[in-house]
Amino acid sequence: MDNWQNSTCLLIAEFLIHIVSTDEIELEEGYLPFVVRNQSGNADITIQCMEGLPTFQFEKEKLVFEAKNEEQKFYSIYRNGEELGFAIYNQQDKDEIQQIALLDEDFINWKVYSDNSKSKIAALKYPLGPIIMHYMTLKSDAVMMHASCAYDGSKARIFTGFSGAGKSTMSKLWSEAGNGIVNDDRLIIRKRDSGYIVYNTPMYYADIPKSAPLNSIFLISHSPINKIKKLTGAMAVSKVMAFSIQNNYDKQFIQSRLDFFSDLCSNVAVYELGFVPDESVVHFILANET
Amino acid sequence: MTMDIKTIHSLKSKFVARQVGNEMILVPITNNVAQMSELFTLNETAMFIWENTTENTTIEEIEKGITDTFTIDSKTAREDIETFLNQIEKLILNKR
Repeated sequence: MDNWQNSTCLLIAEFLIHIVSTDEIELEEGYLPFVVRNQSGNADITIQCMEGLPTFQFEKEKLVFEAKNEEQKFYSIYRNGEELGFAIYNQQDKDEIQQIALLDEDFINWKVYSDNSKSKIAALKYPLGPIIMHYMTLKSDAVMMHASCAYDGSKARIFTGFSGAGKSTMSKLWSEAGNGIVNDDRLIIRKRDSGYIVYNTPMYYADIPKSAPLNSIFLISHSPINKIKKLTGAMAVSKVMAFSIQNNYDKQFIQSRLDFFSDLCSNVAVYELGFVPDESVVHFILANET
Repeated sequence: MTMDIKTIHSLKSKFVARQVGNEMILVPITNNVAQMSELFTLNETAMFIWENTTENTTIEEIEKGITDTFTIDSKTAREDIETFLNQIEKLILNKR
């Protein structure tokens, strides 16, 4: 029986995360503002952290998903019966595994094994933190998106698009126009009794937890002139879903995402926006959104 | 064009489909992170083809089904089928 001497609770997008460890837990700076009073009995998910990497015979497991590109390797997912196994790679050395994580079939209990030979147990060290948050959303009415979000006190507007499309630029422009910024990179959207709510998630820098009622989603790209087009139906769903964080190796995951985005896009306005990166786009949106 | 109706049937298990209004979204099941600007959407005729293609369906049966269901002639139905097959072929090629 492990001796869980260390315990921490985080509240992210109103999901309560209980982290326990046999050793001292080190959280990256961005997670610290999300730490809440210990209320482990109500936790949505539990993360048990162990020191040392177990001998995990990957070749005996079924590889179901790999997140990598030509330059970088982020993680690999293996299926063992109903349980999932995650090999998380060191972002400074793509051939080195920094953590092995196991997730039970209910997506509630994580076991995270860390290579702590160089530091304390960093339970949520990137990219594991966002992976855990993604799987936390999968069995509820919630999604994670790469997007920025501005809030004017009554409406939250989300801006999403490819890397370089202008998400951070849009945040800056709306901030200069007097709006609050929920986040400029990674958000969680949840369906609540009051409607769709957008939340920030911990980043590499410290920022307080924020939330706002979602009003509209803009699919952005740079353009010589400001132009806007409202999208509805399948086109809106398909384009918004394309910018959500997805591990589409499982039919049930995809079906649940399609259900979520179909409902979201029938309740929240979706626009395609070509924009000039100056303050004119703020006025343009205010004048043209319906 | 290398895509045919039989191939469409064999591809069905590689996608998850969802009807939204009179259209359908196809999401490919994939084992890696693919950057997509949008998922694949089917209009009403293409959705009919997707839903009514079985292992033994012929192109003539699909064409007749379209003309019986929608107010379009055989020539347009055949063009719609060819357009659909071309689009699916492009989608599959893009995935590779």
